[in-house]
Amino acid sequence: MDAESDVALDILITNVVCVFRTRCHLNLRKIALEGANVIYKRDVGKVLMKLRKPRITATIWSSGKVICTGATSEEEAKFGARRLARSLQKLGFQVIFTDFKVVNVLAVCNMPFEIRLPEFTKNNRPHASYEPELHPAVCYRIKTLRATLQIFSTGSITVTGPNVKAVASAVEQIYPFVFESRK
Amino acid sequence: MPGGRVCAACGCSEIEVDAARGDAVCTGCGSVLEDNIIVSEVQFVENSGGGSSAVGQFVSLDGAGKTPTLGGGFHANLGKESRAQTLQNGKRQIHHLGNQLQLNQHCLDTAFNFFKMAVSKHLTRGRKMTHVIAACLYLVCRTEGTPHMLLDLSDLLQVNVYVLGKTFLLLARELCINAPAIDPCLYIPRFAHMLEFGDKNHEVSMTALRLLQRMKRDWMHTGRRPSGLCGAALLVAARMHDFRRTVKEVIRVVKVCESTLRKRLTEFEDTPTSQLTIDEFMKIDLEEECDPPSFTAGQKKLKIQQLEKALSKKLEDFEGEISSYQDEIEIELENSRPKAKGVFANFTKDDSIEDNTSSILGEEEAEDEELEAAANHLNKDFYNELHEKDRLKKSEDGEWKNGKEATVRPPALESLLGPLPTAASLGITESIKECISTKDREPGENTGDGELDLSGIDDSEIDRYILNETEAQIKAELWMKENADYLKEQKEKEARIAKEKELGIYKEHKPKKSAKKREPIQASTAGEAIEKMLEQKKISSKINYNVLRDLNSKGSNTPKKEDDSTDDSTNTKKLSRRKSIASRNIANPVNSVGKRLRPLISTQLAKKAATEEVTFQNAQAEAPDLEKPAAVLVESGPVAYNPDEEVEEEEIEEDDDHCMSALQLMGGN
Repeated sequence: MDAESDVALDILITNVVCVFRTRCHLNLRKIALEGANVIYKRDVGKVLMKLRKPRITATIWSSGKVICTGATSEEEAKFGARRLARSLQKLGFQVIFTDFKVVNVLAVCNMPFEIRLPEFTKNNRPHASYEPELHPAVCYRIKTLRATLQIFSTGSITVTGPNVKAVASAVEQIYPFVFESRK
Repeated sequence: MPGGRVCAACGCSEIEVDAARGDAVCTGCGSVLEDNIIVSEVQFVENSGGGSSAVGQFVSLDGAGKTPTLGGGFHANLGKESRAQTLQNGKRQIHHLGNQLQLNQHCLDTAFNFFKMAVSKHLTRGRKMTHVIAACLYLVCRTEGTPHMLLDLSDLLQVNVYVLGKTFLLLARELCINAPAIDPCLYIPRFAHMLEFGDKNHEVSMTALRLLQRMKRDWMHTGRRPSGLCGAALLVAARMHDFRRTVKEVIRVVKVCESTLRKRLTEFEDTPTSQLTIDEFMKIDLEEECDPPSFTAGQKKLKIQQLEKALSKKLEDFEGEISSYQDEIEIELENSRPKAKGVFANFTKDDSIEDNTSSILGEEEAEDEELEAAANHLNKDFYNELHEKDRLKKSEDGEWKNGKEATVRPPALESLLGPLPTAASLGITESIKECISTKDREPGENTGDGELDLSGIDDSEIDRYILNETEAQIKAELWMKENADYLKEQKEKEARIAKEKELGIYKEHKPKKSAKKREPIQASTAGEAIEKMLEQKKISSKINYNVLRDLNSKGSNTPKKEDDSTDDSTNTKKLSRRKSIASRNIANPVNSVGKRLRPLISTQLAKKAATEEVTFQNAQAEAPDLEKPAAVLVESGPVAYNPDEEVEEEEIEEDDDHCMSALQLMGGN
């Protein structure tokens, strides 16, 4: 982590995506009609329900699968998912809250120094790939953690991974490499 | 082979093989065991010049394939296995594209090697061949360092550059090839040439190179498209050498947007190097390096954000004071509600709204100042809608106005939102309520447990999410209005399907989207189908379309069989005499199936071939079956099952070859 400096790096989690199942068939039309905060997309066959309290947008399919995005922490995601299930219950469906899983976590982190991207790419083949024509950041993939980091020349890093721990350890892993190629 | 063999007749194992004669004979009883043995010796034949050459053919290493046809294959790809076809196809496309890019043979060969590797790793599956080819070529360009951009390739192919980039990245990763990073310096000579500097080309290029290197040190080049930087450098270099190149000309060559170029120029302007004169620049190199422009921009943003925070804090202090006044106002209003003026009296008729507003106000009264401030933040919007500008004034008049506005708020919104009074206002007021009240409950809910059943979840809040009947109806209407187009489409689709079902032609069309395949020709008559197909395919200029059209006009619709059978027979007679190929195609599959087995006709026709010629009536019965297999081949079902057939057959024979090819084409459609 901060092996080489004393500055604490704060990793800000910006988005947590999770899924769960209700194990029962949902009538989208009914949800759309009776929910005050829903958008019904009939052409793709799903309903978007937005909650305010944990700011969450959920995509609900008629098979009972629900994807929940917009939470800022794992707990919040679970909490929001439960509320969602509760509101579906109130609408009259026999909802069972099962198979809850956090699928993706997106976090942002800022390095106190800038980074030389071409140098970094050269030192870190094959994990790093840099195409300035396409995207201004270097895309670094860690297979073991299944995490992807996008490293910008200003020193800010965007990390996506399967859970918060993976994200944190990814940042820890990348720090020494990035430190080498700092400006 | 017959080394360990035993003679079948006498059982002795002494068998003599004579390679010259190709025999295997038993020496005991003399019976011939094998005849015409295939040998693998090299044989020689004599040339015209007197020399001898070996007998044999060259077979390609790639394809195992069958031996080439004796008559000469029609297609190069006929009879080869799929892998060989793919590779050959790929090679052809690589060469085609590479020539457009002016790549030399070595590059093309390397690209083909990459392609072979990609195919063996199954990377071509699920991807457009053109994309993979482009990616291979670009990979070669990168490794060789040619000044070709991905943009060039995408221009040639008319494909989105990001799509190509994705394929390219994947390819590079899978093949474990490290493409060296793009250096903008590589592009300078190419762009300079395009900008036509004449004699001074070299000098301008050198200046531009120096500029680029300076830019690199100043951190302008990381994360930027190399072409943009090149453009900026060239522009400046040109100006330095007294060439007037406008921004537009440079853009056309370099393929970036005008704003990008300007931005690069301004960034360069910010660096200290820009302050040097031309001569100084050529001689001196400044030591210090600058921060990347995005970094400085980020710093600016941070500063602005901090300022904003300080400001907002001050605002909040003010608002805390206002909210306390707000409380007082609202208490007064509760008492003075019936005194509301005439204009607003109408809006207070609806009881439900009244209840809500009173409850809202009641709740608001009970809240803390902080929450009031939050509510005010929300309410600001409504106030703005109502053109309320002096909300922040602390005068009595202002407060009284505020008070009135508070009661007026829900009803006035009603008027604003037009035909949806209840739902809209309720929805919004619900949201205010929710926002205010949930903040109150915040500490409680976060410590909720793991189980679903109600612990930590506030039911009443969730209840608010559920609309009652009238609301639901209104919402349904709204939704219908919004999605009217889609619903219309669906209805039309269903109507169409129902109609087709009636006609018995309904086919289940799965929503597969294959852009390359042509859409199946749907026509109510077979003649129409032929026309459409021919339009698409443009087979031959020798087809007499007039005849085709006549065929259509006189031709039978599929349900009517008996009436038209005779017509058709006369038609085909006429047509066959005119010797048009189209009619051949139509008449032949049915007529001549009996005589000649055309491999390309559907099996159903082939099966029925035997019975066709026998009876006329059978043919009629089979007509409907025949119609179905191939829309194009089968039309005019009951064609010429008549005594004239033999006469026609003779005429048909002449055009055999033509028929074959047209049929093939149609069959291959």
